[in-house]
Amino acid sequence: MSAVLAGLGVDRPMTILLLLLIPLVASGLTAVTRSRRMMESIHLLSALAAFGTAILLAAEVLANGESSSWSGYLYADSLSALVVLLAAFVYLVCAPYSIGYLRTDERNQVFGSEENGNMSLVKLRKYYTLTPLLAFSMFLVAVASNLGVMWVALEGTTLASIFLVTFYGRPTSLEAAWKYAMIGGVGLSMALFGTILTYYEVHQALGAESLTALSWQVITSHAAKFDHTVMRLAFILILLGYGTKAGLAPMHTWKPDAYSEAPAPVAALLSAAVLNSAMYALARFYVITVRCLGPSFPSQLLILFGLLSIGIAVPFILVQRSYRRLLAYSSIDHGGIMVLALGFGGVLGPLGMMLHMTFHSVTKPLLFFCAGNAQQRTGHDSLRKTAGGLLHTLPVSGPVFLLAALAVTGTPPFSLFQSEFLILRAGFSAHHEGWTALFVAMLVAIFGGFFYHISQLVLGPPNGPPDTETCKWKTYPVIGLAAVVVLMGFWLPGPVYALVKGAAQILTVHP
Amino acid sequence: MFFWQDPQFGDRMITLMAALVLVLQIMMVGQRWLVTNIRAFALQSLLLAGISCTIAYFNDARDLYIAAALMLLLKALLLPVMLRRLVARIEIRREIEPLVNVPLSVLISGLLTLLAYVVAEPLQARPAMGAAGLGRNTLPVAIALFLIGFFMMINRRKALTQVLALLSLENGLFLAAISLTYGMPMIVEVGIFFDVLVAVMILAILVYRIRETFDSMDVSRLSRLRG
Repeated sequence: MSAVLAGLGVDRPMTILLLLLIPLVASGLTAVTRSRRMMESIHLLSALAAFGTAILLAAEVLANGESSSWSGYLYADSLSALVVLLAAFVYLVCAPYSIGYLRTDERNQVFGSEENGNMSLVKLRKYYTLTPLLAFSMFLVAVASNLGVMWVALEGTTLASIFLVTFYGRPTSLEAAWKYAMIGGVGLSMALFGTILTYYEVHQALGAESLTALSWQVITSHAAKFDHTVMRLAFILILLGYGTKAGLAPMHTWKPDAYSEAPAPVAALLSAAVLNSAMYALARFYVITVRCLGPSFPSQLLILFGLLSIGIAVPFILVQRSYRRLLAYSSIDHGGIMVLALGFGGVLGPLGMMLHMTFHSVTKPLLFFCAGNAQQRTGHDSLRKTAGGLLHTLPVSGPVFLLAALAVTGTPPFSLFQSEFLILRAGFSAHHEGWTALFVAMLVAIFGGFFYHISQLVLGPPNGPPDTETCKWKTYPVIGLAAVVVLMGFWLPGPVYALVKGAAQILTVHP
Repeated sequence: MFFWQDPQFGDRMITLMAALVLVLQIMMVGQRWLVTNIRAFALQSLLLAGISCTIAYFNDARDLYIAAALMLLLKALLLPVMLRRLVARIEIRREIEPLVNVPLSVLISGLLTLLAYVVAEPLQARPAMGAAGLGRNTLPVAIALFLIGFFMMINRRKALTQVLALLSLENGLFLAAISLTYGMPMIVEVGIFFDVLVAVMILAILVYRIRETFDSMDVSRLSRLRG
């Protein structure tokens, strides 16, 4: 047995392989299941198992510094382990919520009337097969050691989620999916061009070492030898390409559409986990570029795109009409903050970025859950039509919505305040005083707009009969995640912080 | 030695085929028939498979034969057939309507080709590698395909024609990969082809559903989501 395994190249712990297999198996099983109960239990179990495996992988990486399997094709260091852990966490919290969400949809006859019971089963199967595939692609992005495979996996996240965006089959969801597919497709083809150019440099520097040549460890160790013109071009293409996937301005236009048309748990996954995958890919190339060109060229570009994204979000948040789109613009804003932190560099910049990524992934799903509950209750996501009073009609999600809005805009004592403060310090220590001041001003404006809209929505006199929120599947994830968000403001578990620090170390430039 | 074993002959063949690829791309910009467009795309893919085979033969790069086979099967045969079926199924009445008129579009494509040669200059100046350094002169063509594909996407309003533009843009990437490095590693190559195939299938379904829902493929009608 062990000889067979060794022959397959499996001579190390197989945590990474297991991590990739779990969602694949779950997706395959769901595709052949006939009962919805079975689909739901498979989904829950796979999310639990994936999270457990992600913790195992993180522990392995913390103990050994790295973990690899399958002759080095799959490789994880602290950065990968952190991204995997966050993706698995979001997948885990979305699993129970999506069960409640889809059951409510079915009760509201969103999928068609009663006699069309088959239709709803088809819809459910679509959701429960595609979501694990999305999780699989996200895990693969983080653990692929080959930059080309990483690109393939990132394209996979788009492909797996297109039909989740068209889930409700409305004309507007088709529009959103079309923009998502086309803008994403063009963006990723630019990233592929950048990857090809990088590969060309490796080929020039090392000769035809065909299979390991795109592995990012090899590339970073030889990056100093690369041609500067080519790498500059490659980094611009990569930034535009993966920046499109991350929704940086001005390539962000697909984001509000896709996030507002997709079901709430899918939007949570896209916003809190897929965003990290794109950031991860960008960060890997940032390290290579810095090794080749020095920090100043990539930093300037990153600061530019970061500030532009935060800046674009400001007016759209201030005059927003729909709260789902409001959340999407908040996601563009946070993507911009992460890129800005990376651009500030130094020791604090990468640390701020990694902390921000962690806290954002924990907080964002909560907002989408509350928004989803509110939308299912009122039947629309318009800020104008809703006369307020969610506090009374939704006794659980209403107040939590307000709390989550405070948390996501970086109000103390919530955790995002800490990471934003750290990024502020990074900006000052990198002597970007002007940009940092602008950053703070825009954060304040976003806080104002966001808080105004959400408080209009939540506070106010009761409007309609109170809802006791009986669906446990929809309220318990909200309560549980809210507890985690509050807790994170005061206490970040030691191992997680060690992982964050390790990841930041990888992105730190040592001149 | 037969004349076809002479690397110089191979070099000329590659240059000829690359020139034809570029001509086909500009032809796609300039003409209005959707079916002709699909044929031009199929022919372009066939020529790219030919370039790939030639480089593989003269530089002894085995992997490129597989890339060429994938190109031939997927992009020259399978995808055109699929797209033709889709065209037949949704009974397109009107043909491609570019936003910019045809003469100007062709002129813009010419300028983009010029730009591609300027961009490719520093990359070509470096010493060639591999047995004969074959195929390096196709890099400007690859960049031109990429840029013109980009322009076609912006210039077209119909969903299906945008898909074709995206596909020809990806042909440019394929040419860049084989001319710069004699292909990506096999696992990446297969992954990219798989992605392209799935993407086109998904896009075809979307095109079909957009046609059903809006009774038109005009993507400028997709403008309800704003702000």
